[in-house]
Amino acid sequence: MNARTILFLTAIFIFLGILVVVALRYYLRARHASAGSWEQLLERLTVLDRDGVAKIALDYADESGRRKTESLSTELESSQIFGLIGGLAGLEALEKNCAVLIDMAFFVQQWYPEALVLAEELRLSAREIEWHVERLRGAAKTGNLEPSFASYAQPAIAKYYLMTQRVLALYERGNLPMLIDLQRAI
Amino acid sequence: MHLTGLDLLFWAASFLGHVSLLAVLLVRRRVRTFPFFTAFICANILRTIALYLVATFSNSAAYFYTYWYLAILDVVLQLGVVYELAAGIFRPMGVWAQDVRRSFAFLVSVSVAVAGALAWLASPPTRMWMQTIMIKGNLFSAALMSELFVGMIALSVTVGLPWKAHITRIAQGLGVYSIIDVLVEAAHVYFGLNRGDRIYNDLSHARIAVYLACMVYWIIMLWRQAPPPRSLSDQMHSDLLSLQDKVEYRLAHLRSRRGQ
Repeated sequence: MNARTILFLTAIFIFLGILVVVALRYYLRARHASAGSWEQLLERLTVLDRDGVAKIALDYADESGRRKTESLSTELESSQIFGLIGGLAGLEALEKNCAVLIDMAFFVQQWYPEALVLAEELRLSAREIEWHVERLRGAAKTGNLEPSFASYAQPAIAKYYLMTQRVLALYERGNLPMLIDLQRAI
Repeated sequence: MHLTGLDLLFWAASFLGHVSLLAVLLVRRRVRTFPFFTAFICANILRTIALYLVATFSNSAAYFYTYWYLAILDVVLQLGVVYELAAGIFRPMGVWAQDVRRSFAFLVSVSVAVAGALAWLASPPTRMWMQTIMIKGNLFSAALMSELFVGMIALSVTVGLPWKAHITRIAQGLGVYSIIDVLVEAAHVYFGLNRGDRIYNDLSHARIAVYLACMVYWIIMLWRQAPPPRSLSDQMHSDLLSLQDKVEYRLAHLRSRRGQ
């Protein structure tokens, strides 16, 4: 067996190994997201200080998600926002909840194809929040968390608040039995 | 060309399987939903007939060229099926999800590069240059398809886009087949055709057997109807319509910002 054949076989085994691991990992994740019940989804939500979330969110945007004008917004100081949400740990819990909200989008769209637009709205919002939290993680690594916290955390929290309100409103309008559990969880 | 009983059996099974699958697509009215997949199945029916006739009534060179022209068509149609499935997943609002476009383009570029690198690295022991091209070409297409299917699964889960029932079934079949095909094509590269074609043919039979199993899976799954959707209340429906307006406005706003 020459060196090139050995190299080829090694490359093929690595290639197939990566393919199988990636395929299984994501396939199982997708199954987990779509096969879980609504109750299982709720259990995965981390309880956050909802009053704190609402206070930060409504300082930045109104109930419809429209950003307030400069004169009305950002009354909260960066340190207050940091304290209300529980710092980076609180934001990481919020990010975990985003993953659950993405799974909720999976759930909603799976059973109610007409709710495609809600699923897409939730999905895009969750992606935006992930982006903001990722920036803050990067800032924490370089020791710049404090000065960048408000500018990334507040839009993320406002978006999260809006997402929770959207889901709650939908279940309230639909008079669905899961509403009380959902209100308790978010 | 000499054809064994097993060759003829696989040929007949492949022909019957494809005709049955085409009948399922027509009877269940799935042709409009999956035009590329239907074209891929039709092309396979024609390919089976053409290769059988050429193998029976013509020489090896004619078979080689016919095989290759049809193999190129096969790869093009498989790429069409990939596009069809990707469009079904990554265009939830009728346009490509904005956070997916770049990732998908990156996935395609990396897949082509990796498949090309594997094909370049392969050095099968053969007697003719045509055999080398055939083995390397098959390895390239198998590696490319397997990467695209696995990449599509990973990307859709990462961005949170669900798969519809029949899209999932077609992708599962092609995905499993293409991963096993990589293994078979790698074995083709390793054993080559230097010492006769027995091992090569045995491996090809194993690949066709896997493909036939996938075809049976498709026939059953595409015959079944997707789970019936639950219906929304009128109030929820109107809420969603107003939300749709907002999302469309937001998409238009984002597009105009991107254009600046």
